[in-house]
Amino acid sequence: MSNAVVTGTGILRVRRQYSKSLKDLAAEAAFKALDESGLDSVDYVVVSSSLSYTEIGQLGLSGHISNYIGLTGVRSIAVEDGEASGLAAVEVATYLIKSGVADNVLVIGVDKLTEFTSGRVYEDLQKINDSELFLLHKIGHAGMAGLLMRMYMNRYNIPRDELSYWPALMHSYAKENPNAMLRFAIDPLAVKKSLSIADPITLLDSFPLGDGAAALVISNSEVSRGEGLAKIKACASSTGFTNPFSQDDPLKIGSLISAYQKLIEMTGLKISDIDVMEIHDSFTITAMMILESLGLSKEGEAAKDVANGKYSKDSRPAINLSGGLKARGHPIGATGVYMIAELSRQLGGVFEGVSLNNASKALAIQINGFGSSSRLVLLERR
Amino acid sequence: MTVEDLSVPAHWRRRLTYYRLVAGRCKKCGRLHYPPAPACPYCGSKDLELIEINNKGKLETYTIIYSAPGKSRGRAPIIVGVVNIEGLRIVSELTDIEPEELKTGIDVEPVLRRMDEDTNKGIIRYAIKFRPVLVPKSEERG
Repeated sequence: MSNAVVTGTGILRVRRQYSKSLKDLAAEAAFKALDESGLDSVDYVVVSSSLSYTEIGQLGLSGHISNYIGLTGVRSIAVEDGEASGLAAVEVATYLIKSGVADNVLVIGVDKLTEFTSGRVYEDLQKINDSELFLLHKIGHAGMAGLLMRMYMNRYNIPRDELSYWPALMHSYAKENPNAMLRFAIDPLAVKKSLSIADPITLLDSFPLGDGAAALVISNSEVSRGEGLAKIKACASSTGFTNPFSQDDPLKIGSLISAYQKLIEMTGLKISDIDVMEIHDSFTITAMMILESLGLSKEGEAAKDVANGKYSKDSRPAINLSGGLKARGHPIGATGVYMIAELSRQLGGVFEGVSLNNASKALAIQINGFGSSSRLVLLERR
Repeated sequence: MTVEDLSVPAHWRRRLTYYRLVAGRCKKCGRLHYPPAPACPYCGSKDLELIEINNKGKLETYTIIYSAPGKSRGRAPIIVGVVNIEGLRIVSELTDIEPEELKTGIDVEPVLRRMDEDTNKGIIRYAIKFRPVLVPKSEERG
């Protein structure tokens, strides 16, 4: 079976892009990735976007974008899995290579979150939750996070300020990443004092609203002949409960545990083998739940571990050197593509921000909401 | 979804979920799920029955939403809680309670309340919310 290799990456800084359309952002990232791979065209275009219909009003996105960037006549498909869309697109692209359907696939992740006021965007974002159950009550994405964060703090008796070291750590990484949205350091004590969104969640606990696009060229290793930044070793995913409170323990992400188990069975992976990870820290509490669901921290100890420096850049695995969803930004459908582009560049020794020497294994993790699905992609150095 | 764009049939279809706390019970594994689904989310069995769970429960966790989505922003702060009724956790708005009175572990009971109004179609929407159970004075004195 063919191996899938990342041969090109294109990353745009997450920011408010009032002067550029969704298709402009997609084009800019796509051209960067194609330039890096040395290709003019590909066999297949896979587009990942979650909010393009509601924010931009565009259907049939993969065809419209392909035509806009001069790839008329190629095959294309759009992939949508809420917040986990980006890694879903990478999974599809990998299978297109491994099955021999395509030799070169262009993956484009793109979303615009600043076309309308934040109230409108929050309204679209709440559709990440089970619409049947939650839309009437206007609970929203941050509201679900607030319910989980209070449950976590009460159960393990965790002071608010102990949870504030995560956003501070993310900002310290984002400061060094030219493609991050929030490139400034924050004091952990500032988190509690920032605007309350869904108590106890504050503005600094949550991801910023920004526009973004990232792209990848994924190639058959036999065709790329030794070129490329990183090999896509395995993709694993799992469905879970659409409502985290239907789980016996709402603070464990069942779909993540299940997807991680599959990845271990597929690859014999041990978490201690991983040098660097990008995890889906949509809110501070999501990061804590991921660290504990993977067993990296014991139950109720993730916040303390972060505060004590367990997840610093010198420890293994180093986590979210990009600044994470929290500070690099989370342009919903694009985020997973950012993760793979950033981790590929880490493994290839060309990441622009805080970087590791000789990293050989990297893991990307995405979750839709609080676990309706979870996706993992394991990368290896070439 | 704005108030205006919820379709009339969609709201009518969800009347058991919105107006009565009807849950599914799996005859195979015995677990409850809400709202009712065509297969048990725990064991996959299709041998299910509907039951109404109109009881009081305990508040397990809550949040106070200040950045409410879309047109409900005017209703903020919106208080939302997770209510545990016989092991089934229901996420719902809380009412007749102020932010400073909130405490996990208190008893709450379901009550039908007005939610909002669709000014185009003239639909006034109601939903189950939960409110604190009043403790009779005699009990309070112990």
